[in-house]
Amino acid sequence: MSEPTPAVDLARENEELRYQLEEAQELIHAIRSGAVDALAVQGTEGPRIFTLQGADQTYRTLIEQMNEGAVLLSHDATVLYCNASLAGLLGLTLGEIMGSAFESFVPLAFQDYWAELLRQGWTGKSRGELPLKNRAGALVPFSVSMNVLSFNDAPTLALIVTDLSAQREITAIRAQVEEQNALLDRQSEELKREEAARLAGERAAAEASRLLEGISQIAWTASAAGENTYRNRRWYDYIGHAPGEGAPSDRSWRARLHPDDTAAAQARWQHSLITGEPFEVECRIRNHADEYRWMLGRALPSRNEQGDIMQWVGTYTDIHEHKLALERIDQGQRQLRENNEQLTRVNVDLDNFIYTASHDLKAPISNIEGLLDALLSELPLATVQSDPVQPILELMQDSVNRFKRTIEQLTDVSKLQKEHGLPAEPVDLAAVVRNVRLDLEPLIQGTGAELLVDVKAVPTVLFSEKNLRSVVFNLLSNALKYRASDRLPLVRLQARPEGAGAVLEVEDNGLGLDPANEQKLFGMFQRFHDHVDGSGIGLYMVKKMVENAGGRITVRSRLGQGTTFSVYFSR
Amino acid sequence: MQKLTCVLLVDDDQTTNYLNKLLINRLVMTDKLLVALNGQEALEQVKIHCREAHPDCPALILLDVKMPVMDGFQFLAAYNELPLPEKQAIIIVMLTTSLHPQDVDRVQQLNIAGFLNKPLTREKLNDVLKTHFDRHLPE
Repeated sequence: MSEPTPAVDLARENEELRYQLEEAQELIHAIRSGAVDALAVQGTEGPRIFTLQGADQTYRTLIEQMNEGAVLLSHDATVLYCNASLAGLLGLTLGEIMGSAFESFVPLAFQDYWAELLRQGWTGKSRGELPLKNRAGALVPFSVSMNVLSFNDAPTLALIVTDLSAQREITAIRAQVEEQNALLDRQSEELKREEAARLAGERAAAEASRLLEGISQIAWTASAAGENTYRNRRWYDYIGHAPGEGAPSDRSWRARLHPDDTAAAQARWQHSLITGEPFEVECRIRNHADEYRWMLGRALPSRNEQGDIMQWVGTYTDIHEHKLALERIDQGQRQLRENNEQLTRVNVDLDNFIYTASHDLKAPISNIEGLLDALLSELPLATVQSDPVQPILELMQDSVNRFKRTIEQLTDVSKLQKEHGLPAEPVDLAAVVRNVRLDLEPLIQGTGAELLVDVKAVPTVLFSEKNLRSVVFNLLSNALKYRASDRLPLVRLQARPEGAGAVLEVEDNGLGLDPANEQKLFGMFQRFHDHVDGSGIGLYMVKKMVENAGGRITVRSRLGQGTTFSVYFSR
Repeated sequence: MQKLTCVLLVDDDQTTNYLNKLLINRLVMTDKLLVALNGQEALEQVKIHCREAHPDCPALILLDVKMPVMDGFQFLAAYNELPLPEKQAIIIVMLTTSLHPQDVDRVQQLNIAGFLNKPLTREKLNDVLKTHFDRHLPE
């Protein structure tokens, strides 16, 4: 089938109608703006020409005076007419333009474009942009719209030429200005940021510097690589140089380290530089008087937001007196330790001596006793009972007995030493006191003593039961033994909690003693009353037992009034 | 009371030996009383008299602890090594003075019949006779 499909026909028809509509609209616009003098309208009986000739001089005036250039071209593109605006735009006279070939104003590079535009223009209308040469040969951008007009019955091409240079320039300038402004904005932003950063940095540095200058320690900063970047006034005071004075090497701490401290201090610093760990060192640094003083050197790394070390901020604190004091204390402590060790040795020696003495003396005294017995059994009874043999034998036996008792007590003491560290257990205090009281009952009865016991407040004490018994026994029997002859003994035994422990008090109204003798009271074999049978070992043992268990014993006494013993038990 | 065949006193103290001899003789405990002044001498005596069952082999040895040359402990160590036929018939009792706690431990671990605190008395000897020989001194 040769006939086109209805859809294609309709599309083409539609296209033509739209084209006619656009043409009509443009013509109406051209007429309104005075761009054309006459119109050719396609009618059913062929085109009809409507001219403005003579009829409307106003339009012509308008064309002459409008800003756009208006041109009429003949069929061979010769300028039949141009208005003054175009002549002005091109910097030429009307005479120079009219009658010329229009393409003479078109630059070579646009000749083809112009020819095409022209060709299209003759087909009805066309529109385009191209530069034209002015008198000076400079190119001026124009937009050109063309319409075919029938002018005096001859077809002519009407051109409206609009100068684009101003518009272009403005656009270009605006773009440039905008670009420039943006650039300026960016630069100014950048500057602002830099300035802010600089100010912040300066403020921080000033602040840091002010702080570092203000502190009483020597302060310094160093780069991440360990190069010194700042030292405060204190340092220069210390080394006796003004900043910048003297050889740089002489200003550094390295040069002033004590030879004995150099290796360790430098190694420590290197370690911190490598690891970023805080720097801390005690070293001796030479001052302006060439004296070495002990310094505590410390530095911390200062890091940026990324965690990189920007610098080290450090101080030196003079710890010389402190260090010397410490050394003195150390020395004192060493001395004390030595003394203690010596005392411990002496104590051990004493323990061993007591043990050995008690052991070695026991055999000969047993022998003397045995020999005395043997002698007695050998002597005739008459001789034994005769004077002065009998008193001599009795005195010998007495001496032997006393010797043996002393040895036994020494043995007890030496046993006590060995018992050091005997496990302490909660002991029923009231029960122990009850038992001791039973043991002492004959003495209590015999002396007519009154014994008041109140230990309810302390049910138990932490102690070895055997030793507690011994303590209570010794204190009570002492209170009874050293009674005053002119009054009945009154003994008070009381216990009460004190702090974390407890205190046991035995108070009597007995002989009492001179306060000057209070401390001697606890010595071994110390006796203050020779009329009373005593070994002088009891209180020594009591003190030992109490102290071995971590407690202590004190005494308050008034001669002729009485004595109070206080035993402090730890808990 | 049936007397013991032989008693050996081991002590470096001559007076102690004298007194103990006096006591034992007075109590008529034995026919034969031997004395050694240290562990070494005691060991020699035992070696000589106890090679075979013999009346001179001591039935009771009273052994002191502290002695020169060879002390009581060393004697016991050496004695334990001796190959004797009638060892179970020999009763060894140690005589001590006030004992160091450490020595008490040591004595108690020894393979001996018992130990007595010096000085030796009639009662202590009577206890030994009762415990180890099933006999006692006349009242």
